[in-house]
Amino acid sequence: MGRELTFEIFRYNPAQPDIEPRMQTYTLEETPSMTLFIALNKIREEQDPTLQFDFCCRAGICGSCGMVINGVPGLACHTQTKDLPDKITLHPLPVFKLLGDLSVDTGVWFRNVGGKIESWIHTKKKFDPEAQEERMDNALANQIFELDRCVECGCCVAACGTARMREDFIGATAINRLARFYIDPRDNRDAADFYDLIGDDNGVFGCMGLLACDNVCPKQIPLHDQLGIMRRMATVESVKAIIPDFIRKKLTGCKSVKA
Amino acid sequence: MNPRTPAEIRSRLDFWQAFSGALLAVFVCCHLILEGSVVISPVVTDFIGDWMEKIYVAQIVAPVILALILFHFWIAARKMPFRKGELTIFTQHSMALKDVDTALWIVQVFTAIVILFGAFFHVYGVMSQMPLTVEKSHIRLHEGWILFYTVFLPCTILHTGIGMYRIGVKYGLISKARRKIWRAIIWIGMGCYLILGCCALTRVWFY
Repeated sequence: MGRELTFEIFRYNPAQPDIEPRMQTYTLEETPSMTLFIALNKIREEQDPTLQFDFCCRAGICGSCGMVINGVPGLACHTQTKDLPDKITLHPLPVFKLLGDLSVDTGVWFRNVGGKIESWIHTKKKFDPEAQEERMDNALANQIFELDRCVECGCCVAACGTARMREDFIGATAINRLARFYIDPRDNRDAADFYDLIGDDNGVFGCMGLLACDNVCPKQIPLHDQLGIMRRMATVESVKAIIPDFIRKKLTGCKSVKA
Repeated sequence: MNPRTPAEIRSRLDFWQAFSGALLAVFVCCHLILEGSVVISPVVTDFIGDWMEKIYVAQIVAPVILALILFHFWIAARKMPFRKGELTIFTQHSMALKDVDTALWIVQVFTAIVILFGAFFHVYGVMSQMPLTVEKSHIRLHEGWILFYTVFLPCTILHTGIGMYRIGVKYGLISKARRKIWRAIIWIGMGCYLILGCCALTRVWFY
């Protein structure tokens, strides 16, 4: 017989503002290899069909089931109950719009931020559907793929102290996203263009180096390493009038493609 | 090259924050080592103090460092949780997350405020009783300054150590792969400086 797990789950439906936010307790017997996703489904199927939470892929790919697990943001489908104590407290991810209980709308936030950082390839080339795909160096393709692994679950944003205090801060995920275009040779933007997008306190300079984004990322993306590279680029860009060229080139340290 | 607009000039603040912070960190490290020379012998410290006064380094550096501290604080304060509700949000967030790096930021904010005021008292105490000698320091400590230094010294070391680590992380100089090693180096470094500072205080106390 497995452990008896006690779940303290945040309950609030914005569509019913007359009912106060509250914590509701559920108990469940732990089964082998149980994930939080399985546990929540069991609770919903057997105890409370009104419980709201998001899920889709069940494999850490869609990023839908992000929530705050015992104070730490993470994916429900990635989190095994055996790694948690008997009492498990669940809250919705902060920063994002609450839809109900554990369900939040990360989509609007990511769309807004994507717009702010112009998260698409900027090229002057006219698209030719008949032309062969352009070749790319394998190492560079892998680098871009590494940055593209973000599933936009929002855990890094929820764990970021800056994002919690300053709602305009674009977060590590957006800077990581922009780094992907920064190294992409198909994108014609130069350092000055990227600087214009993120070179302020809502962008890369807003980061206080708290590192929680890195620590909670379910995909183990080295978000802060990217942030560091982009910050260096933006800083060098911000002071390029007062720094000699040979130092500037050494400091940028991200890539030679668009130096 | 296009001239920068005022908004763009504002974004240089991050550079100046890191630059002034790095300069102050180097100063603190050098200052503590020179002060720590009293552990070897008060004669050495007196010699260094005398030499610094003769070539006017002490008289020039002290106000410059105070100005640099003010400048650094003024820039860094834009990130501090001074706006309504921010401190509460951050503290609650930090406590729930139980993340050391996040919690250390609160330590940095607290120590920054201590240093801001403490540095003025420290410089006033030292510069108003020239010349720089161990004997004068001994008298000052026995006049009650020992309590001030038991707070000021660890705060300065903590702020310097955490600040240097954070500059390294923020500018990608300390990568994720090497973060644990650097964290250990910084904590060991802070421990060594704290021991040196305590030994120096003890030596001056019993001068």
